[in-house]
Amino acid sequence: MVPFGHALSFAAALFVLGLTCVLLRRQVIMILIGVEIMLNAASLVFVSASAYWQQADGQVFVILLMAITAAEVAVALAMVVYLWRRKRTLVADEFNGMSG
Amino acid sequence: MNALTSLPQFPWMSLLIMMPLGGALLCLLHGKRPADCRGLALATALATFGVALYLFVCHGQGSERWLLYEDVNWIPAYGIRYVLAMDGIALLMILLTAFMQVSAILLAWRVERHVGSFFALLLLLESGLMGIFLAYDLVLFYLFWEVALIPMFFLISVWGGEQRRRAALKFFLYTLVGSLCMLVAIIALYQINGIQTGAYTFVIGELLKTQLTAAQEGWLFAGFLAAFIVKSPLVPFHTWLTDALTEAPAAGSLDLTGLLLKTGIYGMIRVAFPLFPNATAGFLPILGVLALVGLFHAAWCAYHQDDIKRLLAYSSISHLGLLVLGLAAWQLTAWEGSILLMVAHGITTGALFVLVALIRERTGTRSMQELGGLWGQAPCLAALFLLFSLASLGLPGLANFAGEILVLLGTFQEHPVWAVVALLGVVFAAAYMLRLVQGVLWGPAKIERTLRDLTTREWLMLLPMAILVVWLGLYPEPFLAPLHGSVATLLAGGLP
Amino acid sequence: MSETLLFLIPLLPLCCAVSNMLFGMRLPRLFAEIMAVTGVAGAFLLTILFWDYAEGEGTRAVLFTWLSSGAVDVSFAMNFDRLAAPMTLMVTGVATLIHLYAVGYMHEDGDYARFFGLLNLFVFAMLAIILADNLLLLFLGWEGVGLCSYGLIGFWYHTLENARAGTKAFLVTRVGDVFLAIALLWLFAVTGTLSISEINAQAVSISPGVVISLSLLLLLGACGKSAQLPLMTWLADAMAGPTPVSALIHAATMVTAGVYLLCRLFPLVSLSAVGMTVITAIGALTALYAATCAMAQREIKRVLAYSTMSQVGYMFMAVGAGTVTGAMFHLLTHAFFKAVLFMAAGCVIHLAGDENDIYKMGGMARRGPVELFWVFLAGAVCLAGLPLTGGFFSKDGILLALFTHPDPAYRVFWLVGVLTALLTAFYTFRLVYLVFAGEWRGTGHPHAIPLQMRWPLWPLALLGLAGGMLNLPDFVGGDEMLHHWYGDLAGRAVTASHSTEWMLIGLAVAIVALGWFAAHWRYRNYRPPVENRVSRFLLNGWQADSLVDRLFVRPFTAMARFCFSGCDRSLFDGTLEGLAKMATRYGALLVQLATGRATTYLSAFAWGFLVLLGWFLLKLVNGGGH
Repeated sequence: MVPFGHALSFAAALFVLGLTCVLLRRQVIMILIGVEIMLNAASLVFVSASAYWQQADGQVFVILLMAITAAEVAVALAMVVYLWRRKRTLVADEFNGMSG
Repeated sequence: MNALTSLPQFPWMSLLIMMPLGGALLCLLHGKRPADCRGLALATALATFGVALYLFVCHGQGSERWLLYEDVNWIPAYGIRYVLAMDGIALLMILLTAFMQVSAILLAWRVERHVGSFFALLLLLESGLMGIFLAYDLVLFYLFWEVALIPMFFLISVWGGEQRRRAALKFFLYTLVGSLCMLVAIIALYQINGIQTGAYTFVIGELLKTQLTAAQEGWLFAGFLAAFIVKSPLVPFHTWLTDALTEAPAAGSLDLTGLLLKTGIYGMIRVAFPLFPNATAGFLPILGVLALVGLFHAAWCAYHQDDIKRLLAYSSISHLGLLVLGLAAWQLTAWEGSILLMVAHGITTGALFVLVALIRERTGTRSMQELGGLWGQAPCLAALFLLFSLASLGLPGLANFAGEILVLLGTFQEHPVWAVVALLGVVFAAAYMLRLVQGVLWGPAKIERTLRDLTTREWLMLLPMAILVVWLGLYPEPFLAPLHGSVATLLAGGLP
Repeated sequence: MSETLLFLIPLLPLCCAVSNMLFGMRLPRLFAEIMAVTGVAGAFLLTILFWDYAEGEGTRAVLFTWLSSGAVDVSFAMNFDRLAAPMTLMVTGVATLIHLYAVGYMHEDGDYARFFGLLNLFVFAMLAIILADNLLLLFLGWEGVGLCSYGLIGFWYHTLENARAGTKAFLVTRVGDVFLAIALLWLFAVTGTLSISEINAQAVSISPGVVISLSLLLLLGACGKSAQLPLMTWLADAMAGPTPVSALIHAATMVTAGVYLLCRLFPLVSLSAVGMTVITAIGALTALYAATCAMAQREIKRVLAYSTMSQVGYMFMAVGAGTVTGAMFHLLTHAFFKAVLFMAAGCVIHLAGDENDIYKMGGMARRGPVELFWVFLAGAVCLAGLPLTGGFFSKDGILLALFTHPDPAYRVFWLVGVLTALLTAFYTFRLVYLVFAGEWRGTGHPHAIPLQMRWPLWPLALLGLAGGMLNLPDFVGGDEMLHHWYGDLAGRAVTASHSTEWMLIGLAVAIVALGWFAAHWRYRNYRPPVENRVSRFLLNGWQADSLVDRLFVRPFTAMARFCFSGCDRSLFDGTLEGLAKMATRYGALLVQLATGRATTYLSAFAWGFLVLLGWFLLKLVNGGGH
């Protein structure tokens, strides 16, 4: 078995990498990819926990998470298409209509 | 505290408050028919004046106790009661309010835009003012205090002059800050009293018995005073008034100077001084000095003005300085003089504002550079202008002098130096008033076209005021009689 | 009951005034004029009718309560006593004649209702001063005459200068009124009453320091109305009003109100020797000042104005010397001859085609009706103090009182009085010669003089000449009628040895002769006026106007500008604007956080998460440490 600590630290590293991607990338799609990575890190925590405590609940939740993620990505990408059509750019900083 | 009225338990005071309110509602409903609105508003105002006059005649001799008292349970969970109480001072104030509102409605007869709303606001204002003078429960008092504030804001910001938005906002925020300080003080006093006596109440009569430490008394007094000093107004918190008076529509100016300013002083007399006697005693010298500073500062500013409406605004502040001086002297004659001066000033300055509005209507200007020689062009208007200007500068035999001389005689007994300094201010009043008269009435006529002299409606407004001015000057006894008992009780710190 | 009828004396002119002001323009002109004259003439007749009421202690009548509050209890009450009665008679009598004169003088002016209304109102206010039983009613009349003076001086308001002159008069006298008001307040605080008779009765019990201060305050109040130093700058400019106004107000009545006030409160004022000396000093200085100014004036009415100031100075000197009789005697004779001088001057101005400058007149004796010259001369010799005229006896009475005063310092004042008499004679005859002698130097077109302007002059001229009979001193065989009438109100009895009196008379005669001779030598044959620094200085009243302007008016205006622009606009409004700007700027700073960008908000999430994480870790560490 993979030690729980290893899996958790790996998941933490993955989460931080995902967060970095969200915070530092300018493109909307790259931000979304970062969010995906963070979600995957969370899934990893669930899976390793389920392996550690020998209970299936974690893995069930991961399946649920994948479904939710799929739905969320669908909506998000639909909005990305809309944003592209509005401004012909996908740089997140360009969309500041709600400022002030 | 029992209801000592010579009339059976008829809620006269609630009638005084509710009638204008009802009239306001009806005016709003009839907004599409301006002629109806005007008639309705005038009828309501006259009816209110009738009630006030009836009360005045019934209780003309005054008493040391309450003349009328109404007490109904309102919100028992918080100890808020609907308590209205009237003594001699309040009697004079409601009479003045009712009288001035009739004139205000007549003055506003020719408003074009949103007629229904305008008259509804005027009547709402009257209701609020009546409430301030009659309320004896602090929450009720605060409620009416704000009710009187809001219509004024709308009157200025919608129907006012060029700078109306700024003036209205300044007026609103300034007085609101003061009112909020008062609200904090009210709640604090309520809590302290509740903790001490176990009975949570907002009725002023009950709160008089609270034992307060010196620090508590000082802070609470300051809270109440914040609202009243701004409303009075005392220099240096007066700049809102000059802008508001200059930019307000004619009827609004009339109400503002004639009535709204008196609420601040009335608040001091009714609420702040009785509730906090020790703090008051310590504060009186400061009040006197502030009053004198206001007297002179406003007089000097008035002298410098070219806009006649702004000049009259400053003259209002100056007169109120003298008035507050009388209060600060804490002496019977001075107090009676101050209250008489409240009535007299309301009428004389109100009449002058009416005349300024009439002049503005006819000539299109308020600047003394462009006015002049009006005596030859509109003699009746000019003669009345001269009469009220002379009354305002304190000519003996006319209204203001009666109040002023009583204030001075009374103040001299306690603080001779104050009275002497105030007398010097009287010369200043002559200086700026004569400058006003000279700029408007004398000299060659600068406006080329012929000017209309007074119409019937304008005579209806001004003639009663002129008669009152002479009456108050020569025979103020009917107006002083209700005051003797009430003032004596208040000065002794007692409860009517 | 019948005492209340006494109130008709002041109320009759008041009713006529109010009627004229309200309805005058609707009535035919003659009606309004008759009403005006009847008002005053009626008051005159009533005074004669009720004369007996004034004998003895006088009669007190109360109408109704004016103010009653606490210790203050003042009513409309009048006191018709021995001091008030002759004054009332003089005021109403002279006013009647002047009203008749005014009917003629103003017959071309269309604004008659206002004029006669104000004139009658003035008489009412003056009567209020004379007859008032308490100081507050006196103050009402006091301010009332100031108001009417303002309205009448600025009567021809289309010229702004006239309105300014009226305003100046009102303001300067108001400064004096402030001092009177302070004295009023103080007297009430000290004696508990405002009734004049009670104040006089309690006067001896007031502490000496207070008495001195009160005397000085009353003096300053009197100086305002009587145009004495330092409140005298308004009188010369007041000549801008119509001539009847100058005759009534600025010769006979309002300017003498100050003297009357001091005589009324004489029991109080006479208690302090310092106060009396100051009164005499002011009177003396003013008399001399005004006489010097009169020597250089070019306008006929201004000469007469300064001469009024000078003569009222004599009256003040009399009061200060302790003789009420002397002051009132001179007051009465002066009213007669000064009124006639003003009215004759009005005729002269009409004849000269509305020309005021005496250097552009001349030869009036032949130009106008012959009586004009004689009437004017009658007034002039009274003014100069020619022996046997009314003015001679009254002035001499004052000089005698000064000479025989127990305090030797008063000899100085006597000397000033003598010098002023010399100057008076000089400028009077200068006026007569320049106006009436020689050839006509002017260019104007004469106006006809209506009859109403001519015949009221005669009674006044005769009264002026014969006025000495009122109080003929006994060393010439007279019976001192006025002095005995006043009885104990008369002040100090002036006694001197006959030789002293004859010596003083001789001196007076010599002075008149000297003054006349000097004027004759210089002005009999016309010379153009001399323009040098001295004459300009005197012409401008010793530059008093510019002094007042620099000391008071300019600082006042500057202070007004400071208060408004400096304080109100910059300080108070500036603070508020500053607060508002601060709030707006703070808001603008905060709003920078709301960029509208998703990335900013995401970073905010991350930071917040970090903070929370850190806090929980800290809690964990601390909790674990326990």
